[in-house]
Formats: sequence, C-alpha cells, structure tokens
Amino acid sequence: MPLDTSTYSLALLRLDGRRWNELRRLTAQISTQVAADGSSYLEMGNTKVMCTVAGPSEAKGAGGVRLGNDRADIRVSISIAGFSGVDRKKSGRNDKRLMEMQHTIASAFAQNLFTKLYPHSTISLSIHVLSQDGSLLAACINACTIALIDAGVPMHDYICACTAGSTSSYSSNDETADPLLDLNTMEEQELPFLTVATMGESDSVSVLIMETKVQVGRLEGMLAVGVDGCKQVRAILDGVARARGTKMLEGSRM
Amino acid sequence: MTSLKRSLVSDPYASNISSKVYVRSTKAGKVQKIVRELYLRQDIPCSSKLCTACLKNAPRDASGILAPFVLSAKPAGTKKYTQGHYLVPDTNALLNALDLFEQKSAFYDVIILQTVLEELRNRSIPLYNRLIGLTKSEEKRFHVFFNDFRLETYVTRGEGVSINDRNDRAVRRAVKWYSEHLAQAVKAADGKSGQVPAVVMLSDDKENLKKAKKDGIDSCSLREYVDGLDDANNLLDMIAVVKEGREIKDTKMVQKVHKDYLTVSKMMTGVKNGTLHQGIFNVTPYNYLVGSIKVPAFDKPLMILGRESMNRAVHGDVVVVEVLTKDQWKEASTKIIEEETINKDENADAEDGEAVVTEREQRALQEEVKRVHSKTSEGRAQPTAKVVGVIKRNWRQCVGHIEESSVSKSGKPQMVFLIPMDKKIPKIRVRTRQAAEIVGKRVLVTIDSWDVDSRYPVGHFVRSLGDVENKAAETEALLLEYDVQYRPFPKAVLDCLPAEGHDWIVPPSTDDPGWQDRRDLRHLQICSIDPIGCQDIDDALHARPLPNGNFEVGVHIADVSHFVKPNSAMDAEASIRGTSVYLVDKRIDMLPMLLGTDLCSLKPYVQRYAFSAIWEITPDAEIVNSEFTKSVIKSREAFSYEQAQLRVDDQSQQDDLTLAIRTLLTLSKKFKQKRMDAGALSLSSPEVKVEMESETSDPIDVKTKKHLDTMSLVEEFMLLANTSVAAKIYSAFPQTAMLRRHGAPPKTNFEELALQLKTKRGLELSVDSSKALADSLDTCIDPNEPFFNTLVRIMATRCMMAAEYFCSGTQAYPEFRHYGLASEIYTHFTSPIRRYADLVAHRQLAAAIDYEPIHAAVRSKGKLEAVCRNINVRHRNAQLAGRASIEYYVGQALKGRIVEEEGFVMKVFSNGFVVFVPRFGIESLIRLRDLAEPEPEGVFDAEEYVLETKGSREIRVELFGKVVVRISDVLEEKTGKRVVKSEFVKSGGKE
Ligand SMILES: [Zn+2]
Repeated sequence: MPLDTSTYSLALLRLDGRRWNELRRLTAQISTQVAADGSSYLEMGNTKVMCTVAGPSEAKGAGGVRLGNDRADIRVSISIAGFSGVDRKKSGRNDKRLMEMQHTIASAFAQNLFTKLYPHSTISLSIHVLSQDGSLLAACINACTIALIDAGVPMHDYICACTAGSTSSYSSNDETADPLLDLNTMEEQELPFLTVATMGESDSVSVLIMETKVQVGRLEGMLAVGVDGCKQVRAILDGVARARGTKMLEGSRM
Repeated sequence: MTSLKRSLVSDPYASNISSKVYVRSTKAGKVQKIVRELYLRQDIPCSSKLCTACLKNAPRDASGILAPFVLSAKPAGTKKYTQGHYLVPDTNALLNALDLFEQKSAFYDVIILQTVLEELRNRSIPLYNRLIGLTKSEEKRFHVFFNDFRLETYVTRGEGVSINDRNDRAVRRAVKWYSEHLAQAVKAADGKSGQVPAVVMLSDDKENLKKAKKDGIDSCSLREYVDGLDDANNLLDMIAVVKEGREIKDTKMVQKVHKDYLTVSKMMTGVKNGTLHQGIFNVTPYNYLVGSIKVPAFDKPLMILGRESMNRAVHGDVVVVEVLTKDQWKEASTKIIEEETINKDENADAEDGEAVVTEREQRALQEEVKRVHSKTSEGRAQPTAKVVGVIKRNWRQCVGHIEESSVSKSGKPQMVFLIPMDKKIPKIRVRTRQAAEIVGKRVLVTIDSWDVDSRYPVGHFVRSLGDVENKAAETEALLLEYDVQYRPFPKAVLDCLPAEGHDWIVPPSTDDPGWQDRRDLRHLQICSIDPIGCQDIDDALHARPLPNGNFEVGVHIADVSHFVKPNSAMDAEASIRGTSVYLVDKRIDMLPMLLGTDLCSLKPYVQRYAFSAIWEITPDAEIVNSEFTKSVIKSREAFSYEQAQLRVDDQSQQDDLTLAIRTLLTLSKKFKQKRMDAGALSLSSPEVKVEMESETSDPIDVKTKKHLDTMSLVEEFMLLANTSVAAKIYSAFPQTAMLRRHGAPPKTNFEELALQLKTKRGLELSVDSSKALADSLDTCIDPNEPFFNTLVRIMATRCMMAAEYFCSGTQAYPEFRHYGLASEIYTHFTSPIRRYADLVAHRQLAAAIDYEPIHAAVRSKGKLEAVCRNINVRHRNAQLAGRASIEYYVGQALKGRIVEEEGFVMKVFSNGFVVFVPRFGIESLIRLRDLAEPEPEGVFDAEEYVLETKGSREIRVELFGKVVVRISDVLEEKTGKRVVKSEFVKSGGKE
C-alpha cells in the first residue's frame, strides 16, 4: 500500500497529489441522451454518474385518477451499477443508504425548483452511478442540477455540492488538522467528512449531511472549505450550461 | 446523439493527470482492482536553500504556514565531490545501512524520495519509522521529495516492466531533475553558474549504478561513498554485509542448510484450514535447542526440538509451524544444553559445507531421544512441531560481546561471532574491520538476515558501548537490551513544562482558575509513607474519626494530569516510555524531573495539587461512602516505611499524625483479611536489595527486603483506591475505561508443580479457583523448613499469567477479573508520576466526575488499545530491566568474596540442577560437569526428581531439598556478565 493519509503533514499533499483546497477534475456534459427530457453526465474524479430527467409530466394514478397536489412531485431513483465499486456488489432496491440519498436529493430540489408551476405533475430524476470514488451524493446532486437545466425546469439557482473533510481522524485528534476539499474513497474511509450543497452564489446551505465523528472545533473550518468548494463547482457547471446555451443559439440561427 | 467520450485535448488538466491501477488481493482471498487518480504538479519544492523559484510557489497549509526549506545552501563536500553534495539513497541503501544515516559525523543534506519511502515502508515498518524520525530532526537536514507527484519526475511503469525497475528509473529521473534544477536555480540566483552542489545517488544495485553512469548521473555504492569520508573505518562496519559474494557462491551451488520457508499464501491457507499453526516462538531458558510455541489448537505448548525444526526462527518471532506426527512427540527435556559448551571454537568465516546441526549437537540430541524411548511413561509426551515459515521477525538491536576465539589477529575485515547477552538469541555473525578494538567491549549490533545456507544469522555492527563490566556501558547495555527509552527529554517535551520551573506554586488566591472545582484539603493531617529516599512521591494518606464513630480516610494522588495535557509533546513522550524504570543505581523517568520529583511529587510541608479519593469507613472496614475530587493538599510529613513503623510502635507518640497512621494500620489489616477471605493470593518473588556505598555508589552488600506492616498499610489503601476508581471509570465509560486484569492461569500451568509437590511431599495443590489455590498454598509447609512455603510460592508465581492493561470494551465483564487480587475490577490509579496507565485513568476519572470534558484521545477505543499494547510491553521490560540490574549488582557486590550459603533445589535436570539461594535472591545452575573433573556420571530419576551421581564424585540431590553452596563470582564467558557462581558443597543444611 502506498502512502496513507497519515503522511499528509509531511508534504501537505493528499493521497492523489492534491492540496487541501483543491477539487478533483470535474467535467460535466449536458444533453447526453436526446430521448430524455433532460440529461447529463458528470465526473468528479473517478466518480461518474449519469442523470436523466423525465417530466414534468402529469401524474396519473391507477385508473387514470389525477394524483398529487398543487405542486410538482419530485421523484428520485438511484441505481448503482454492479461494476461501479471495487467489489462487485448488487445493491437492493431497499438499500437504506440509497433511500436516504434519494430523499435528500428530492427534498433539496423541492426547495429549489419552482414546483408550483407544475401542479399535479411529477418530475422524475433517475441517476445511474457508473463508477464510485467518493463524494457520491455530491456528484449526484450536481448531475441532477445540470440535467434539470437541460430539461428546462425553472429553478432559483444551481444547487452545487461537494464534500469536505479533515486531515486527521477523530481518534488521532491532531490539533493541527487541515480541512480538506472533495474527498475520494480512500479519504472517505479514513477521515471524518461531510457533504454540503449550497444554492449557487449564495452561502445558503440546502444540504448538509455528516455521518462520521469529528471534533466540533474542526467543523467550522470544514464547512467553510465545503461552501467555498460549492462555489467552484457552480462556476464549472455554469460554464457547461452556458456553453450549451451558446451552441443552441448558434444552432437555431442556422 | 452526443458522444460521451470526452476529448482530452480540450481538458486543461489532461497532461497532469495520471492514474495508478493496481491489483490487490484481500484477506478473504478476493482480488480487487484499484484505480486511483494521480494529480501531477509543478509546485513541489526542491527544498534547497539555493532555490528561490520553488520558495515562491511552495505549498502552505490551511493556516498559511510554509514548511521551511531544509537542504543547506553550502552542503559538505567529500574528496570526490569537492563542490558539496546532496545525497539521494535508494531503498536498498536505506535497508542495508540506516544506522549510517543516523550518524553524527556524516550523512547530512539527504533527499528521501517518495518512491523510496513507500518501498521502505512496504519492506520494514521499524526502519520506516526511524527514517521518518530522521526527516523530522532539524539538524540532519533530511528532505522528503514527493517525486511521484511532480510532473517532471513522474515515471510511468511500462508494459512488462517490473516494479523494481520502474522505481529505480524513478530514482534516477529524480536525481537527474534535481541536478538540472539546482544548476538552474544557482544560475538564476547570481546570473552565472556558481558552485552547484552535486546530487549523488547512493545504491548498492549494480544494474542501477551502471544505468546511472550511462545517464550521466553522479552515483556510487555505499561502500565507495563511505570510503571517501573522513570517518571511513568506523563507518564501513555499519554497512550490512551486502550480498556481493552471493553471485559467486550461487554458481557453486551451496547446499542449503535450512529448509526454505513456505510462501505466505500457503501459510495463510494452512493456518486457516488448521493444518498449520501460528504463534510466537520462544526459546526455553535452560536449553537453547528447545523452543516452544503456544497455539490455540493445543492446551500444552508445542515443542520445537533442534536447529533443524527451528529453521532460523529467533526468540520472539511470529512463526507458522507444522505439528509432527505422533511418533515424533517427545517428553519435555530434562537436560541443560548451552550453546557455548556445544559449539565452542567455531570459525565464523567458514561457511562451506557446514550442516545445520553440528556433530556435537547431534550427539546431545540423540542422547535425549534415547532417554525418551527407553522410558514408556504414558501421556507425558508433548506434541512437537517444526517451523515452516516466519510471519513477522521480531529482530531488534542486541547487545553482546565478541567471541574472542572467533577473532583472528589480522587487521583485515573479518567475520566474527557476537554473543548476545540474551541467551535466547543465537550467535550473530558480524563482519568488522575493528575486531581487535572491539574485543572485550559491549557492542550493539543489528541482525540483518538469516539465509537458508547459513547456520547463524548475519548482522552488522552499530556501535560500541564501552568496556565489558564498565558501569556506564553495562547500564546502557541493559537499557538497550530492554528497549528502555533513556535519552534525555527532547526540547519539545521540556517546552511543555510550566514556565516558572521549580518556583511554581499552588496559586495563593483561591480565585485563580487553577482552584476551580478543587477542594481545599490543606487543613487535613496528610502524610506520605514510601521507601527510603523516595523522591517521586505519588501518594499520601490521611484518616480522621468522624462524629458518628466511622472514619474518614483519604488517598491523595499527585495530580499529574493537571500538568500533562493530552496530545502534548510531553504526553506523547510519556505514552511511549509508558513507565519509569528503576535500576539499582539509576532511575529513568517517564516524566521530566521537574514534574516527577518536584511539582507533582507530594512533598511534605508544601502545597500541591492532588486527586483525592475519600471514603467513609466503619470500624469494621465497611465502605459507607466514597467520593473523588481534585484537591489542594499540604502533606505534613514524608515518612519512610521504617520511620512510620517506629512511630506506630512507640506508644509514647500520641500526636494526630501517629494516631491517624495507627487507625490506617488497623483498617488495613481488616481490609487485607477480607481480601484473603475472598481468595486473594499472597505470592512471592525473591526480593533483595543492593546496598550501595553512598559516595562511590559501589555495591557493598546484598540484603533481603524486610517486610513491615506499614508496607501493607500503604498497599491496602492503594488497592482500595484502584478498585474504587476502576468501578467509577467503568460506570462512566463502559467501552473505553482503562483497566487492568489478571487472567486465571490455565490448569495445565500448575500440572508440573502439583505433581512435584505430590510426589515429594504428598501435598495437594488445588487450582480450581484463586481461593482454593490460596488455601492449598497455605498448607504447603514444612515444619522443619520455614522457607519451604516461600519457595513454593515463588514457583507458583511463575505459573501465573501476566497481568495486563486493557480497554474495557475489548473484554467481556467476567474477564475483567484480577485473579491475584481476587477483585472483580481493577485499574492503576495511584502512581501517575511513573506509570502512563495511571495518567489515563486520572483523565478518565476527571471526566467521570465532571471536572473537565473528556478528551477524545482517552475515549477512542482504537487509540487506547494501542496505548495498552505499548504499556504492557514497557511494563514488562521495566520489570525485567530492574531485575537484570539487581542481578548485575549482586554479582558486583560479591566480587572477590566467597561465601557458603544455604539454598534449595528448584529444578532437577538429568545433567544438572537449579539452586535458589534466598540470601541473595538468586538462582543458579549447577551442572554435573561443574561438580568434578572428569564429569561424574549422573543417574536421573525423573519420576522422583532425584539426581544421583557416581564416579568421580558421589552426591544425591532431590527437588525441594536443602543444599549448601559456595558462592563466588565469575565472569561468564557466554554473556560477558559477571554472575554469581554457585558451587555445590553438600546436601543438607549448614551446621
Ligand atoms: Zn527549487
């Protein structure tokens, strides 16, 4: 095994050669599936996800009964490919972690999208995880944002997410721990981390999840780095969306 | 349809990203393919003070702090590189000679490449840790250069290229980059090309050196490099014997004297399916040809007989063994076999055609086998096994002396034998060119390897400690031998001490934050009772009557946790040291002197912070109430045990303090009785004290320690405090309390002793419970021989398990039990100045009483487990070191004297016996051949434990029998130690 996270202090370099405040390579493509109402493909390092949007469409219950209420219902389904992780695993439909992620994404976008415009309808987001290497929830959220833009669903702002961690584990309790941005799997397994999503430019946090223990004193630094990371993510996603827009305008002119 | 394929050209990162793909197999046997990204950068600094370009974009951490550059602008030069040079060692250079790099005379300005560091870590964790230590020391100027993250020095592994070749290439690439980069840096600095230091690759790999020459890189082998240094002669010895001669030998097809080890995967599968067993290899104390290994599958330890079966395992190694078929099972050996007598006068240089088992060894073993076969004592055969592989070597530096007979007169480099002080470690072959100088010295060596074609392990010389029997050298040897950290405390640790130094006082104003939540107990009549001359006073006591007829008793412990904060440098150092070590003439402290003997020490007449446990106790020694609090106390007097005893006995003394001690004494006797009733064991270990001349600290006499009532007084209340605290911290932190347990010994441990007592004295030893054992030990008396009971207790103590520290979450509650004390739960709380476990207990107790929030470090199970593992080892080593020190001084005290003393036979072999001499607390081995010349013939009755001799001298000794021995001192050739030698005079007592 090469160096582990305990050597951070020696070089101020992480396992993959990044500094504490650097994102991995983040690339996104928009409108990847023409058949879908909106679609996207996003890579954060080796975490690769695809997202397609169906809707907003009229929600029909059994027997053609109109369902729902005065606003659009957001449904999220995540499927993880068997080959996406190191071990080939089949994840069940009722995987609690997946259900929680689906719920988190749905409620985040319920706040952000103008769902009132689409009463009695459903917006379905289906996410396919092709490869996992940390920051999975963040990647899913970012992919959804792009796909929803592609689908043309009006929203307040981009929801951009990333993870933030701390360079030393809870128990080693190093006073001089640095915060870290955008963790990969190796780091997630060893270090405390949180996933944060903000509404675009603003500092308003729409998702904040942390499942590991960390000293409360380090939390502020982690959150600050995370929020800052979200802004960097927004700039990249915005670039992708704008490039697409420019291209569409050019296309329509022809 | 948009293609998902991304175009790499448009990606600004593309050239900087590489990915590492590697395959690993898990423990469960699965194969995993791991893909990892690698971001290559150009801002990894060279860390040379010559370079300004790197300084500009050097990395900063989150708080904006820049790591200082380490490599000096004017590095030292050698004959070859007069302009100055930086060193870049490859992995093998470090593996072979890390000791060299730790030298003070040379090896400065060294660049450690990441590639090398990672490889070293895979090869040897201890060496890796030592190297990390070097990179952290400022004076040595070692810099870790992360070459695999720098764009210019990153090297991909081509198809079909071995990982070693790839790494060698990476090293060469980095060296080349460094020299070019430095040339540029110097040019940029002064506009012209000034003195550019050479960057020299150090390697012992011929192929690598050859390629380096071709690439025009400065490079040389270790030997070549060291030759060019001023201190060459001394340093050359420290280079491990590189396998230069190997190639020539291979062609001659040397016969292998040992069997090859199995592959790791074969061993793992074998262990898993039960055909092989894993355990720690131990060598028996009296017979170096017999090893034992305890494995879960067998009740009794497996025996490993002879060199061939041991197959290069060294005492302490974790090995895998295969059990031999039943017809090869043997009875436990009853013979003393010592390496020195069997393999004397071997030539260390000779290596060709030697067999593992020398002829003489063979003969010794054969006699054994014959004896076993002639007897058909059913069921006494023990399973035997042979070593098939080694999981983990426990090789360490060892201290010893050079076998004089192996040294030839010539000044040329030669192979000599080093005889370790520890008899359980085989002789080590060492190549040296200073043989003549180091004869008669205590020397430190490291074992490097033990090849299949070699009878002995090969090592290299590290340094000489001084003359054998020189007090300083012997003390250092002892400390090294037991891995005691004896170097002075580093500056970082001393910086943690209070700035006031010895002038520190308890703040006079009770408004001071130091007083917060502290109870003022300065009015209490507190005193301490310790051995004479004790400076680190951990504990003090008080007692006073309460109006309701009960007593208030307090145990006050030095408040070390106030001064030693978790995770400080001082805390880290203390946790590594684990315990203070007490030698006869020296104390190696766990904490700096300022704390241990002054600020924490509960000295009399001054105010001190303390951690107090206070109980209300009825006159019948029932505890009504207990509480714990941080406090401020003022001890009224520091007594020695003897002084306290005199005061108690002197009825004219009626002052408060004396009355309090009497109360404590009465209560302690009741507590002791209760413990005994519950089944606490009163065990015995031989304890003697060496009296020293006060001026010269030369030993003058040996006394057995006298037991005083006041000793048990202190002991009882310490036990009470420890048990109360254990219960308290366990209730507060059920998962992470720091506790101490003493496992019940397996019955098989006592089989031998029980059998001996039954056959020799008709006594029954019952071991069903500690109570039963305690009771039956009480019955082991010989009306004519008062010492007999103590002897049995000493022997029983050796059958016990060792007590150990543990973290409560790792054991089930019933396992918490302390067998010897017959206590359900126990911890160490009362000596935080000299034991780290107590310090942890203090922190946990402080949190349990809401004095301060619990620190993460003392409630993380993983971390506590690591602490326990370390302090268990340290604790044991400290005991062994203390004992060895006494042994050494007993030898010194007897120097030149001859006395006759009574002793008792503890163990009988077929060719010797062991006598325990209570007067000096020593046990010594008397072999038949020591009795007379020629060696008398011995007749050994294993069932009756009787050894009779015929021929040149006729004697009869039996187990537990009393004998008279003549004691003198000799310099033992085997270990170079001055030891007490006993000569047999006669059976029976002294007139
Ligand atoms: Zn530079």
